[in-house]
Amino acid sequence: MKKMKVMFSTVLGFGVLLCLLVPLAVGSGGVLKIALDAADISDIHPHYAHTTQDRGVVHLIFNGLVRYKTGDIGKFEPDLAESWEVSEDGLTWTFHLRHGVMVHPWKGNPGYELTSEDVVYSFQSAANPAKSGCAGGYVGMSFEAVDPYTVRVTLKKPLSETLFLPRVTDYMGGLVIPKKPAEELGEGFRTNPVGTGPFIFKKYLPKEKVITVRNEKYFRGVPKLEGVEVFFMSDLSSRKFGLRSKELDVIEGPPSQPWVEEMQALPGVKVDVFGPGEAGVLYFNVTKKPFDDIRVRRAIGYSISRDEVATTIGKTIAAPIYSPIPPPQAGFLTRAEVKLRGQQEGKDLLYDLDRKKARKLLADAGFPKGLTTEFYMTERGEYAIPMQNVVAQLRESGINAKMITIDHATYHHNIRADMNTIVLYNCWRASADMKLTHMYHSGSIVVTGKKPISNFIHLGKVDADEDGKVDSIDYLIEAARDMLDAQGQRALWQEAQYKLIDWCVSYPLFIKRFTYARQKYVDWGYDLKSTLILSPQINELTSISK
Amino acid sequence: MKKNGKHRKILTTFLKNRTSLIGACISVAMIFIAIFAPWISPIDPLKQNVYYRLTPPERGHLLGTDEYGRDVLSRIFTGTRISFFVGIVSVILGMVIGTGMGMLAGYAGGKVETALMRTLDIMMAFPDEVFGVMVMIVLGTGVENVIIAITVLMIPRFARMGHAPTLALKEQDYIAAAKSIGASDSRVLMRHVLPNIFGDILVMSTLWLGTAIRLEASLSFLGVGVPPPTPTLGSMVRAGVDFMGVAPWVSVFAGLAILVSIFGFNLLGDGLRDITDPKLYAR
Amino acid sequence: MIAYTIRRILIAVPTLIIVLTITFILVRIAPGDPAEVRLGDYATKESVEALRKEMGLDKSMWAQYLETLKGLLHGDFGRSMINGRPISEEIKRSLPYTVQLTLMGIIFGAIFGIPTGVYTALKRNTLSDYIGRTLSLGGLSFPTFYLGILLMFAFSIKIPIFPVVGGGDIHNLADNLHHLALPGLTLGLIMTAYVTRMARSSVLNTLNEDYVRTARAKGLTERKVIYKHLLRNSLLAITALIGVYAIVLIGGSVMVEIVFSRPGLGKMMIGALKQRDYTTLQAVMIIFASLVVLINLITDLTYGLIDPRVRYK
Repeated sequence: MKKMKVMFSTVLGFGVLLCLLVPLAVGSGGVLKIALDAADISDIHPHYAHTTQDRGVVHLIFNGLVRYKTGDIGKFEPDLAESWEVSEDGLTWTFHLRHGVMVHPWKGNPGYELTSEDVVYSFQSAANPAKSGCAGGYVGMSFEAVDPYTVRVTLKKPLSETLFLPRVTDYMGGLVIPKKPAEELGEGFRTNPVGTGPFIFKKYLPKEKVITVRNEKYFRGVPKLEGVEVFFMSDLSSRKFGLRSKELDVIEGPPSQPWVEEMQALPGVKVDVFGPGEAGVLYFNVTKKPFDDIRVRRAIGYSISRDEVATTIGKTIAAPIYSPIPPPQAGFLTRAEVKLRGQQEGKDLLYDLDRKKARKLLADAGFPKGLTTEFYMTERGEYAIPMQNVVAQLRESGINAKMITIDHATYHHNIRADMNTIVLYNCWRASADMKLTHMYHSGSIVVTGKKPISNFIHLGKVDADEDGKVDSIDYLIEAARDMLDAQGQRALWQEAQYKLIDWCVSYPLFIKRFTYARQKYVDWGYDLKSTLILSPQINELTSISK
Repeated sequence: MKKNGKHRKILTTFLKNRTSLIGACISVAMIFIAIFAPWISPIDPLKQNVYYRLTPPERGHLLGTDEYGRDVLSRIFTGTRISFFVGIVSVILGMVIGTGMGMLAGYAGGKVETALMRTLDIMMAFPDEVFGVMVMIVLGTGVENVIIAITVLMIPRFARMGHAPTLALKEQDYIAAAKSIGASDSRVLMRHVLPNIFGDILVMSTLWLGTAIRLEASLSFLGVGVPPPTPTLGSMVRAGVDFMGVAPWVSVFAGLAILVSIFGFNLLGDGLRDITDPKLYAR
Repeated sequence: MIAYTIRRILIAVPTLIIVLTITFILVRIAPGDPAEVRLGDYATKESVEALRKEMGLDKSMWAQYLETLKGLLHGDFGRSMINGRPISEEIKRSLPYTVQLTLMGIIFGAIFGIPTGVYTALKRNTLSDYIGRTLSLGGLSFPTFYLGILLMFAFSIKIPIFPVVGGGDIHNLADNLHHLALPGLTLGLIMTAYVTRMARSSVLNTLNEDYVRTARAKGLTERKVIYKHLLRNSLLAITALIGVYAIVLIGGSVMVEIVFSRPGLGKMMIGALKQRDYTTLQAVMIIFASLVVLINLITDLTYGLIDPRVRYK
């Protein structure tokens, strides 16, 4: 017994001693470590990159002809192109490239100067469905290198600036891939991207991180950071503790108010909440009973307090929205505008919480004792959390909506297979045109549409307002698409939305912004208001001051 | 006559044994909660009040509120109900199917026995949680599927229990005697083998009920158990982990409920085992 | 002994193959298409078809099965469906963490469990016995994940001594151990409970055996009786139950890895589950099951070595 006691205390003492000898995790001065909510990258070829983590890596390495102002997607700025002009008829765009933009060195090759040849190559590749995941945005366009620093884009049909410029920005197909490394590396480019941006790709450690280093020859100046490491950590607690122990400088957070408050309470930590965010909208499958009855859909609308749903997510993170196109996207409607239009037409387009009205509508529709329905929901937090609140609210009106929880992939599969009754969909689309087309154009009807995307409503083939006629906003969408005048375009989009709201085919709930926590010593170098890549942009101005 | 005396003796030993007594009290209390949850819950466990979420324990909410503003105490009551329902059904099903399989294997012998026992060996090659997770992924989440998963995990345990005694009893004289007067196999099994092992099986069931509850909680914790919004103790612990820093009461109390339930059944089973057969080993 | 060994191995091999087959089937009848998971919100019919072809999912079940079998014979676990990298690489990286954790669990359990078990057995029905028994029963009743969470709360959140970020740098021993402390403690405490009970009951049993009474009658000191006969003969029981505890240990390590977000096979498995990474999932399940079969085999052989009676069954 005594021997055992001695053994035990030795082991214990040794163990304690070892644990106390831990060196503190020190940041490697100058390298920014950011952890995203992901298990691994999918594809870091810019024309294929579509997840947040993919984009988080890609934006460090590439540029576009034009770029969204860093931290503010409401404005366009020159990037690789110093200036550009468009012809009167809107069919020809001419871009004048910067001089001295250097392509990163790669696999034993030194860098070289980027010219129009590279730009044309890049767009042709982006337009090729065999080499890009976003070829659809470049149909009917041709690209020409007029001289080494001038690129001409010719369209078959004119597009407004609102709709054209996004396609040549530092996003998806607009990201320019240099010709020589792309051709040399071939498929290898997808795990070893080479671009012109502030950081050069160095190494990819699967399921762990991507390492990039400073591009000394960056055309905007030498970046302040020595490098950026993008970590994949799908576990929230790991990220949180990584931040606390200062092993990480920035972490992605969930859209959750308690999390924001907890992080902000930590010493030395600041939380950034920024846009544009994703809009959460409920879409009713009008082909499935009882959602073919407009009274039932309106009853659901009246049973929900948008404010409560937004509060579930977080007061500083989410806000109620009243139109299918969310703010700040061009074409959105404010609450005041929706209210005014309603008053003008003698109807209610707001659908604020009113349980008495809800019950009356249900009774009129033949459900005096309430109704029961089922729907599929994904297990993913950002969907499931607000939806749970919606379900709880519906219960108060006698609507028993049973949630069948399935995994995210199956959820997407099911909703596209027209299996769902009520669909909650969170997304941000590049423009109102894209959003309206994807969700409300008859061609996009799931399964049976000409080019099925996500028109879960089946709008364009159903009678939404029970007047005996099939309802559609196709003509408004198409007319707006062809308008060159931005104001006129917006007006048409707004008209389309007033109809959608009146028909109550979808119920806009909230816009939820992104949450990131960072050490106070991280300075983005710009004002972070909104980014399209869904994570904070890191560029030559970003710095760490430890 | 003889039987009554035996049972009376067991009862008095039971009452004298502190472990089984305390275990019984805890178990009964938890079962009471499980059965009467809908009536003793102070607030509707599904009612949300997001403006009042993650508040600490106080008069109106004895155990605080969760991330949707729901009453933790009421949810724990309902969660206990679900966990016990799943546990009891799984154990009963496992007992019936498993013991049956074991007795069949022991009685039939030969190829049947080898096949059945090999199958059991293979089933036991996977750790509980690993196998449970696999089954849930295949079947999808939901109460029925959790019951299936846990039943499958219970079967080998009961089968082992039914197998060895049947093997031993098969050789007894009175079995041969019964068969010689024309008793059918099932009759022999039911009337002669079963009563002998039933006591032990019942005792082990108590212990394995604790295991079943733990498994259900683990599966819910991993996210493959009973899905929301149904409250289960395991998923409450899981959800609460995200808020441990600001609102530990959600995880702590939900987990405590699991712990107490399992502890109660373990105490009871252990005590019963000591009384009936101190030589039994357990898993 | 050799015949016995051969017999045991011959049983283990088909068991392994059946385990592999079951895993293969289970993983593939699970809902959720890995190609759709990978493409996420951007899955269109064409892109899903193209990706499925790239992943080799368009081949027949039988072809895929044979490929898997062939690969395993060469020690090749195939490639992950999510990032196309060889799974053996991932396993090589994760395995040390799992091994560390399980080793610490069983060593801790043995160091604290055996003496406690023996002590409570010798002091049967005294206060120390009751305390010991209640504590160990309490340990058994503690869901592994709950214990982990409580420890994490106490020593990472409230009093930040220990980290919870993964497993630490495998090449840095101090950092490694720092990350091992809480997860190892969690698993260790649970194992202590199991081992205590096992040690106690095996000691109690042996105490009642005739030969111990005989030894006592012969006049051997209590101490000699204990050390010579008791421990040596309890070895049998310990060996038999190592197989059982291996399963508990592996299952427990999975839960601990999840709670503490610690790299390892368990975390790999759950991650592969969420991503519908068939091949990785399959690989991990096979490793787990093979470990159990292997441990059972070793246990059987050791048993056969210690107790000759077993060999002739």
